[in-house]
Order: sequence, then C-alpha cells, then structure tokens
Amino acid sequence: MKPDNPEVIDRLAAEYALGTLRGPARRRFERWRASTPFVDQRCRFWEERLMHLAKGLTPVQPPAHVWPAILRRLNLTTRQPVLRRIRSFALAASVLLVVGVAALVYWRSLPAIRATAVATISAKSGEHVWELEVFGKENRLVAHAAKLPARLPGSDYELWALPKGAAPVSLGILPAAGASSRPLTAIQKQALALSSQVAVSIEPLGGSPTGQPTGTIVYVAPLRAPS
Amino acid sequence: MNPLAERPSEFDELLQSLLGRCAAADSIALQRLYELVSPILFACVTRILRRRALAEEALQDVFISIWQQAGQFTAARGRPMAWMMSIARYRAIDLMRRERFAPMLVAQPPEHRASDAEPESEGSSAAWLPSAELMQRCLALLSDQQTHCLELAFVEGQSHENIARLMDSPLGTVKSWIRRGLRSLRQCLES
Repeated sequence: MKPDNPEVIDRLAAEYALGTLRGPARRRFERWRASTPFVDQRCRFWEERLMHLAKGLTPVQPPAHVWPAILRRLNLTTRQPVLRRIRSFALAASVLLVVGVAALVYWRSLPAIRATAVATISAKSGEHVWELEVFGKENRLVAHAAKLPARLPGSDYELWALPKGAAPVSLGILPAAGASSRPLTAIQKQALALSSQVAVSIEPLGGSPTGQPTGTIVYVAPLRAPS
Repeated sequence: MNPLAERPSEFDELLQSLLGRCAAADSIALQRLYELVSPILFACVTRILRRRALAEEALQDVFISIWQQAGQFTAARGRPMAWMMSIARYRAIDLMRRERFAPMLVAQPPEHRASDAEPESEGSSAAWLPSAELMQRCLALLSDQQTHCLELAFVEGQSHENIARLMDSPLGTVKSWIRRGLRSLRQCLES
C-alpha cells in the first residue's frame, strides 16, 4: 500500500535520493515517482540539496576511449564541415575556457584537506612500498600501497605507531594493493602524536593476536610533516 | 527559503541550453556536455563502484540516458547538474545491484568533506549553486555522526549495513542518525 502521508513520502524520497532505499522497495518507489508528481517533486528537492554532499569529489577525467564508445552505442557522429568546425571550435574554446575555469574554481574553491603527517615506507632498494597520510583533523589514516614485496601466505603487514616511552600501538593492517582509509581512534591519534616513527611487522592474517607486534619488524619509517 | 535558490546560474543556463540541443538530436551539444560534466560524473560513479571498468560502463550508460531523456528535462524540473548527477548515482547503484557486490568496507580517502566547507558568499565563485550557503548552514547543524552517515551513503553508495560496520555502530543507531539527519536538514532548508 502506498503511503499518502506527505511526511512519509518525503522521508522515502530523501532515502531514495540518498541511496539508502534499496532492493525491491527502491524499484517500487521509482515506479511510483514516475507516476506521481508530488513524489517526483520531493525527490528533486532532495536530489538538489544532497548534491552538496558531493562537493568534495575531485573531478576525474574519463579515459579517452569512453567518448567514442558512447558515440558508437548511440550510432552518432560529431563530424562537421570544416568551416563550421573551425567556427565552432573558436566559440567552444572561449565558452569552455570561461565555464571550465568557473567549474574548476567551484570544485576547488573550498578549503582542501591536507595531511598533517606523512611517511614513506621504503624497501632497502629504495623502492616505495607504502605511502601513509595522517589527516589529524579528520581522524583518518590513509595508506597507499605501491610496490609490495612477496607476502608470506597466511600473513598480513600490520602498521604500528611507536610512541616515545610507550608500547607500540597498532594502526591496522596495511593494504596489499590500492589504498585504504580508516578512522583513527583517540588512542591511535595520541600515539601518532607522540611518535616520530612508524613500523611494519609481519603478523598472522587479520593482525597481531596480542595487540603487540608478534612477528618480524620489516620496515621502520620516519613520520614527517608534509612538504 | 533563500530567494536566490531558484535563480538559475549562467552555468545552469549553459547546461540547459546544451540539454535542449541534445533533445533536438545535436550530437555536438552532447560532446560539449560530455566535456563539461563527464569528469565530475565519472568521479561520482567511480567513487561508488570502485571498479574502473564498471565505472566506465556506468558513464557510458549515463550519457546515453542523458541523450535519450534530454527532452524530458526542463528548467522547471530543477538544476541540470542535480538531474545528471542523479542519473549517474542511480545508475551506479543499479550496477552495484546487478553485479551483486557491495562497496568495499573501506571509506575512500577524505578529499574534502562537504560539511567542512565555509558558507559561500553570494558573490563567490560558487554562486552558481546559490542554495549552497543555506545547505552548508543546515549541514553544520548536524552531528558529526549524522553528517558522516549521509556522506558515506550519498558519496560512496554505502548501504545502512555497511555504514554500521564502517562506523562500528549498531544498525539501528545508524538508521536513526540518517533519519534524524535528513529530518533536521528538511526542517532547516524549509524554515
């Protein structure tokens, strides 16, 4: 049964626009929206407002092969007569310059989040293994895996803060590929604040069972201020 | 309601014009539109899908939908960027369902949190989204947990269950943060 209470409709529209309305309920809601102007109006309200949550997205240029694939799927061409192409190019270049700058300024105009500390974990050969970024204000640690050495089966690399005069504090398992981002607890944040170095140990899958390093310490790297 | 919120910006008008030309089957307009908005839409779907190939498929689908539905878009339907971003996000959510995978339980690196933004002045470079000032003011009223839940859901496409795991909080608590956060936003935006 479809609700007719505007409050309930608005709540469903908000959850739909947010993306948390899932599964068959989402499909039913989409059909309802298509046939009910009030539902559509509430969805648009939320879509416009919640869009601001995505302001932090950094634009990513799609690979060059995507656009030709779109043209192929639509059976389109963007070819024009030469003269018209030149005129269009001049016009488009000026418009794009203005709009591109405006769009870039818009997406970049808000204060950027900067790491408060960084560390580069390197192999003896000098090759980078992980890059770490600590975002103190956001209580977050980001680790980017670079070129990892072969890993023993059934093991993980665990990262440790080494606070002066205190036992190591685990900062979690390091990613084997790609990047990971994890929130920092108050204890981890405090340990990092008292550390000038971080270390990496080889631990059983899932991390040290004791809360302290149990395997070989394979890397130690200084924490430094970002350049 | 901020009276400026309903005034279309020059950027809106340009996008509307391009959509109008797309509706008239002008493929050059689609190309211009692609050049203007594909980077932000690609970032949007990549953030949700986390798989490059799938994000590229989603972006293709998005521009095919934009081309096919451009005739249905009118200024009265709202801002063109919100319309296109919704097409992109909903397509990414659909693909997630089709591929039967959930986003990784790893939040993406924080680039910039919407809730951290300074309110924009009317004359600022971001004035092409005039309701931003009001929205930022309203977001600032939410608790950190409420804002974080909304960002994880909207930007990263995380489900209630994943947000609960990521925030190490009970599912019921997360649902309540989201529900109350949305209610507070609505009250603030419509006051």
